[in-house]
Amino acid sequence: MRKSLTALLTLGLAVSGASLAAPVAVNFWDFFGGGDGARMKTIVDNFNKSQSDIVVTRTTQVWGVPFYTKVHTAVVAGDTPDMITYHLSHMPQGMTLGDLREFTTADVTAAGLAMKDFQPSMVKTMNDIAKNVTGKVGTYALPLDTHTYVVYYNKDLLKKAGLLGADGTPTGLTGIANFTKALQAIKTKTGVLPISFSSAQDPATVWRLYDTLFLQQGGNLVAGGKLNVADLNTKGKVALQTMVDWTKQGLLAKNSTYPAMVALFTAGRAAFMMNGNWEAPTLVDLKAAGKLKFDFGMMAFPKLFANNDTWADSHVLAIPTNTKKPLAPEKLSAVLKFMGYIEKTGGLTWAGGGHVPAYVPTRNLPDFKSLSPNNQYSDKAASQIKLDPILTYFGVGNSVYDSVGNNLTPALLGQGTVDKSIGAFKADLQKFDAAAKK
Amino acid sequence: MTTIATETPQTRQRKRAKAWQAFFQALPLVLPFTLVYVLFLIYPSLRAVQLSLTNSDLGGIGKYIGLENYRKLFADPLFGTSLVNTLYFILLTVVPNTLLAFAFALMVNRLKRAKKFVLAAFFLPYVLPVSVVTNLWIWLLDQSFGLINIVTGLSISWFQDPTYSMPAVAFVTIWWTVGFNILLFLAALQSIPREYFEAAALDGANDLQVFRFITWPSMWSTTSLVLLLQLIAQFKIFDQVYLLTGGGPYDKTLVTLLYLYRKGFQEQQGGYASAIGILLLIIIFAASLLQERFLGRGRSE
Repeated sequence: MRKSLTALLTLGLAVSGASLAAPVAVNFWDFFGGGDGARMKTIVDNFNKSQSDIVVTRTTQVWGVPFYTKVHTAVVAGDTPDMITYHLSHMPQGMTLGDLREFTTADVTAAGLAMKDFQPSMVKTMNDIAKNVTGKVGTYALPLDTHTYVVYYNKDLLKKAGLLGADGTPTGLTGIANFTKALQAIKTKTGVLPISFSSAQDPATVWRLYDTLFLQQGGNLVAGGKLNVADLNTKGKVALQTMVDWTKQGLLAKNSTYPAMVALFTAGRAAFMMNGNWEAPTLVDLKAAGKLKFDFGMMAFPKLFANNDTWADSHVLAIPTNTKKPLAPEKLSAVLKFMGYIEKTGGLTWAGGGHVPAYVPTRNLPDFKSLSPNNQYSDKAASQIKLDPILTYFGVGNSVYDSVGNNLTPALLGQGTVDKSIGAFKADLQKFDAAAKK
Repeated sequence: MTTIATETPQTRQRKRAKAWQAFFQALPLVLPFTLVYVLFLIYPSLRAVQLSLTNSDLGGIGKYIGLENYRKLFADPLFGTSLVNTLYFILLTVVPNTLLAFAFALMVNRLKRAKKFVLAAFFLPYVLPVSVVTNLWIWLLDQSFGLINIVTGLSISWFQDPTYSMPAVAFVTIWWTVGFNILLFLAALQSIPREYFEAAALDGANDLQVFRFITWPSMWSTTSLVLLLQLIAQFKIFDQVYLLTGGGPYDKTLVTLLYLYRKGFQEQQGGYASAIGILLLIIIFAASLLQERFLGRGRSE
């Protein structure tokens, strides 16, 4: 009796002791709305439920320029969140402004991670950025995913056009001549729009396709860490001319907005949709609800020119710099623990958004290998990703997107020549470069 | 004059005491506004002037570089383009908007029935937030599915066309804001004493003469006010362009505030962006003074 009483008392003390030590609060900012937002919320909620030492509070800010402006303001004011999400493509500017805190090897280990487990091409790009900005390689973020440019296809329409192989995947799409011929076949045999695409008020989509076509010819906007515009007059013009020709021949949607692009494809009025992998959940959900009247598939961007390089960007996890109030050790350890959790335990949840996990072990999980439609494109797409040039004015929410909308889009609408558009784009890049140097 | 001459020292003293009393009574009423005004308008404006003399990024940390930003600004062709575009937009909106509002107000005023309904219909767009207005017109003026192109049989990509983009933005702006000006004009119309019209009718004036000699002169103070408000508002054009065209195509709709936004918030050149802001402030101030002088003289004639 006495023994059990003592045990009970001890238990009581232990319980009250545990509840006395207040859990560490982690303040987390991200920019995820829609399906990505719901998935990140699930990950945060599950983490908070899984243990009692750390409570993560998530705040979602507006994607793009507003997010990055807020982060920088917070850094300057010394009143930062404890951790943030970031775009790899924005890291050159963010690091130039000194917004990101470096991860030591011990930090990465404390998160239960190792850099060798991440997609090597992304780690290399991050190191290149660090070298360009600070003079030496270093880890300033942990990659979360790759989101890349893929092709969605309507199996029923491709079958009608004679472009579907026995295994249910498209055939005859390699090489620009074949690809264009295939598009024409779709147009004549099925009468639908071959490629659903968005260019109205959407420089991001125009950039993704243009950049992919440019990269596949071996085009490069950076040489030796510096802006290189030499390829624009040759490969840049070919890339834009290809898009202009497709548009003129009615093979590529003209002047559609982003929602219209998705609607054209999901309504079965286009055979292909060229878009980021993040629309995968839309199609999966529509199919599950019985609202998609056809079978769809997804594939990595085909090889149209010399190589199969494809535009890609990446969401990463980072810690903002705070020189006024540096992260306390227990807070840092809590942040790292949560980052490890997102990568390892949350990886599969996150992949539900169509993204390719940057943490390679997640890609090797049996559950991931059977995850459809991710398994149709993930491995191949990951092998051909090419991130934006590592200069401060490229990337999400930066000047190049504006210049694309301002100069390249009009060529697609036939309002300016390819020469004029590329010339103006080149002049803009040089101007941005001169402004960034000061 | 005579009252002042007969004023005794006592009454003057009493008057002064009364003035002080009024001041102390007014103080608590004015103070909250003054504090907020100084804290959130005057102080930041002065800081912007200070910022414009530095090479700081958005965080406000930078070196003093004197008038370097202004010197660069005058040599910046894109800043010139943005000013020209802003002036073009003003040309397309200020006077047309005022004239349209005037005309609509005259017409609404003559209505015998459904006057309130018509007025509400005109005013409704003004109640909508800019994001709703722009989204509405993006769909209405869409090249492929837009109602306007379908009805007219045209195939113009209004907001993406180098020629039509700025007029399209101006049209949307007028559609959005004309209701408010109609209301101002209507109030002015209704405050013209009826006796004037009765007297004119007795003198046998026709409609045109009534308008020329009674309505127009009586409305002039409101007209010049609307013109001034319009001028200031349209100089500050940003939202519609940001949401409808993003400044394109080929910089045809790049207006000054959009250029400021890009420099400040995208390229993180806070100092340079502040210099643009200060210069625009001076331009708006000068334009307002000029207009006031010009229109003020017109009124006294």
